Amino acid sequence: MNKILIFPVLLLLTFAANAQITKAELTATGLTCSMCSKATYKQLTSIPEVEKVETELNKTAFILYFKKGSAINVGVLKKKVEDAGFSVGELLVVFNFENQQVVNNNSFIQDNIKYTFIDATPAILTGEVKVQILDKGFITDKEYKKQQKLVKQFPGYASVNNNLYHIKTL
Amino acid sequence: MKIFFCVFAVLISARISAQELFVFTEPASNMPSRSLGVRDMNAFMFEKNGKLNYHNMPELMWGINKKWMVHMQGFISNRQEGGLNVEGGSFYAKYRFLSNDDIQRHFRLAAYGRFSLNKADIHQQEIETMGHNTGYELGVIGTQLLHKLALSSSLSYERALDNNPGYEFPPTESNSAANYTFSVGRLMYPKSYTNFKQTNVNLMVEFLGQRLNANGKSFLDIAPSVQFIINSQARIDIGYRQELYSTMKRTAPNGFILKLEYTFFNVFK
Repeated sequence: MNKILIFPVLLLLTFAANAQITKAELTATGLTCSMCSKATYKQLTSIPEVEKVETELNKTAFILYFKKGSAINVGVLKKKVEDAGFSVGELLVVFNFENQQVVNNNSFIQDNIKYTFIDATPAILTGEVKVQILDKGFITDKEYKKQQKLVKQFPGYASVNNNLYHIKTL
Repeated sequence: MKIFFCVFAVLISARISAQELFVFTEPASNMPSRSLGVRDMNAFMFEKNGKLNYHNMPELMWGINKKWMVHMQGFISNRQEGGLNVEGGSFYAKYRFLSNDDIQRHFRLAAYGRFSLNKADIHQQEIETMGHNTGYELGVIGTQLLHKLALSSSLSYERALDNNPGYEFPPTESNSAANYTFSVGRLMYPKSYTNFKQTNVNLMVEFLGQRLNANGKSFLDIAPSVQFIINSQARIDIGYRQELYSTMKRTAPNGFILKLEYTFFNVFK
């Protein structure tokens, strides 16, 4: 009975949007040296959707620009950093929104990936907007532990899924 | 094992740190996945009678995935009569089973194993499966990175077998040993990164020890080194190994090492 009720509710809350990811700012953790940064850089540039990668070596940060119209799954960025031997400490993604309504627990689907707003200030967004991915593996372990209070409010946050991400506008 | 972890806890709490591409030991970290490393180690070791032993150890390294990497190495040396000889080779595998990353720091643990073949004569009590003994080594490594400082320590069991054909391991000698290492390295230059082309300079000091299980004989060496990383891709290591003490027979414990290494990224799909 519950499931039957939840299903239409989910449908109401989920919109297929046109919200392309254009850019990402990634901070890698677990490294200092430029050889380690280069290993990470080489992994990130091997992603077909990536047009170019700029680096900020002192912060072990990478700015990724994506090819126009390409479908990005941020899980691929995480996997590439881990393949280099390191972790993602912070991932900020720039969406190009069109009248995107932001309410806590509100979701939209882009390229078969569902994004849910959590910990958000209500707004309607248009144009390039920077959001942070808050899921496990996209923030430091310490940060993730701090975010556990969000699980009570947003039960879906506890799940780890490659097609389901939780985002916060900055 | 408990002692090992206690020692580690103390080292971590001491909060010293360096980079972790060590010269005489391997760190708990692995190479990037799908990359290939080529290394050539040259050792110039002084025998106590004045003869210079040259060892060349070419090595291929492959990062299979984030947890596994393997090495294959050849052993060439002029220690025996008749000039340079191919004396053997080895296979090495490392499995990273713990990794905790934070901003410019990490702690990692890995287990490793090496199996080596060697056909040279057995000439010392020290057991060394890198270039002297047929045998195997099994161990664990812990590495802590703290910004520009890296600390690493390892503990291993090493077992010598007969150097076939022709050289049986002497039954009166200890055929197994416990090894322990402790390494500290620090990034000295650049002070601040601007691009991948900056040459990195690392300074390191490593301690390498062994204790023979059957008779309790042991040694401890100190090995300072300097490392240059060029274009964030090539490594030149220059090191010196000096015996601090030894109660066992060793042929040529002291000498220089020159190691060259190059990493090819994303070689495998």
